Amino acid sequence: MSATTETVTVARSTPARRRLRRRSDLAVIRGAQAGREADLEELFRRHWRRAYRAAYLIVHDHAAAEDIAQEAFVAAIRTLDRFDRRRPFGPWLGRIVTNRAIDWTRARTARREFDQEPQDVPGPRASAELGYSDELVGALASLRPEHRAVVVMRYVLEYTPGEIARALELPRGTVNSRLRRALDALDAQLRELER
Amino acid sequence: MIGRRRDRATERRLRALRAPHESQTQWRAWPVVSAVYSDRSVRRQRRSWVRVGLVPAVILIAGVLALTPAGATVHRWIVQTIVAHPRPQLVSLPASGRILVAGPGGAWTVAADGSRHRLGPGSEATWSPHGLYIAVAGAGQLSALTPTGTTVWSVARPDVRQPRWFGPNGYRVAYLSAGTLRVIAGDGTGDRALANDVGGAAPAWRPAHAYALGYVQRPATIVVRDVDTGQVAWSRHLASAPQLLSWSADGSRLLVLTPSAAWLFDGSGRLVRHLAATAGPFRAGALSPNGAQLALLDDRAVTVTGLTRSSSSPRVVLTAPGARQLAWSPDNRWILVSWPPADEWVFVHAAGVPRVIAMSRIAEQFGAQRPVRGFPSLEGWCCAAGGGFG
Repeated sequence: MSATTETVTVARSTPARRRLRRRSDLAVIRGAQAGREADLEELFRRHWRRAYRAAYLIVHDHAAAEDIAQEAFVAAIRTLDRFDRRRPFGPWLGRIVTNRAIDWTRARTARREFDQEPQDVPGPRASAELGYSDELVGALASLRPEHRAVVVMRYVLEYTPGEIARALELPRGTVNSRLRRALDALDAQLRELER
Repeated sequence: MIGRRRDRATERRLRALRAPHESQTQWRAWPVVSAVYSDRSVRRQRRSWVRVGLVPAVILIAGVLALTPAGATVHRWIVQTIVAHPRPQLVSLPASGRILVAGPGGAWTVAADGSRHRLGPGSEATWSPHGLYIAVAGAGQLSALTPTGTTVWSVARPDVRQPRWFGPNGYRVAYLSAGTLRVIAGDGTGDRALANDVGGAAPAWRPAHAYALGYVQRPATIVVRDVDTGQVAWSRHLASAPQLLSWSADGSRLLVLTPSAAWLFDGSGRLVRHLAATAGPFRAGALSPNGAQLALLDDRAVTVTGLTRSSSSPRVVLTAPGARQLAWSPDNRWILVSWPPADEWVFVHAAGVPRVIAMSRIAEQFGAQRPVRGFPSLEGWCCAAGGGFG
């Protein structure tokens, strides 16, 4: 699967597509477990962007996001032998990324020094050139980290609320209420900006 | 209805979000991920080799060693060479330079001919860049001494630890005092606090980059900042607290050691190499002075990894359970391993033909009685004396 197809899958992931993707992921994971570097590269290519994107949208610091996604891949590779191939790889990796990103955000909040650093949200021109919405990224940055993570898991990593609840060890009702509140807050902020 | 439409519009925009530089990060991350995977592949091959061939071979050798006179001779030779028949005294060092030692018996220097000189009390110490001075910490004081033990200056501070002198000019000394990172000028003036709530790892000056200092902000963040302007150059958060920060001599690489891994960052904080601890936690690590090799010590052995090629894997140069510290000789050829349980220093030839020179009764020679608890700490193997302030 190429990066282009991955973008399509990200845009709309039907159950059939997910099954197809899971089956083919299964083959490359088996190859990577057997020591074939080409398969690992394929696995990396399929999942890197989404892992990095999820980390970035939670931490809003591209260097930290790069580290978090990289460390998540390193952690995944170190436990690749024990990976249960019946489970999909993407959500497993996504869970590592999300939890690390939440930890990083909490640690930053707790450290005085980092409070003084500006968040890494680019200006409108950079955003236009790079093809993403700075208003939305900015609005996302204003959410609490827990809410941000739930939104990213739902709409970037394409988890179901049940999967998010299991990954974050939260009641499903809490996930739904966080999603609701986050969408309302985003909507309010975007409306404010449109005025 | 309007609310639901707005929800769908927001959801669509969220799904279409992208992060900046996705492609570039992908190209940067792949070599690191690939290197970790290669390490894993090598380990798996080794494990399968161990399972298939080495275990029966070890059983066979053990049988031979136990049952045959020839085997017993070989076994005796190995034990005598490394453990049982070390040189009883520090007669001479296998390479040029001087070693700095500190501990319960005070701070000492050891010259290349093996002669020892006690500087005075001090639990931790560090060389100035050219070995002309020594900063000694202990008993609530930080002092700068000459190699003959003459005090040049001294300041009283609570719980002084881990002094480090900036190179190449020696104009700054960084140290820890009661959880605070402090910096003082090389002449003992202008002492000031730089950061609070810092970790226990010694601060690390980036050589030849005045005055960039790396340190650990609790709980586990590496920070590199300019001490004069206060500006943070970069920072990286790790999962566990680093126990060692050490720059290569040219300032191009920063080694960060945690119990679970060794991380090499470039000057701008980008991760360029990652080595996971596979045989127990890492206890110590050191970059060779030329930055080409990395020595790592875990609970069991010392390994050396070449850094000039990303694919090179660690090779074991010494098995020494319980060894505690490492120091490279200034010529990049020898590694000094401090081995308290055996009360020995072991010099391992890291280049070319393997050679091991062991020297015993180390604790006693540095004024301490009990080898393990009172074993002196290796504080550096320094350069020959040169010019400049330090």
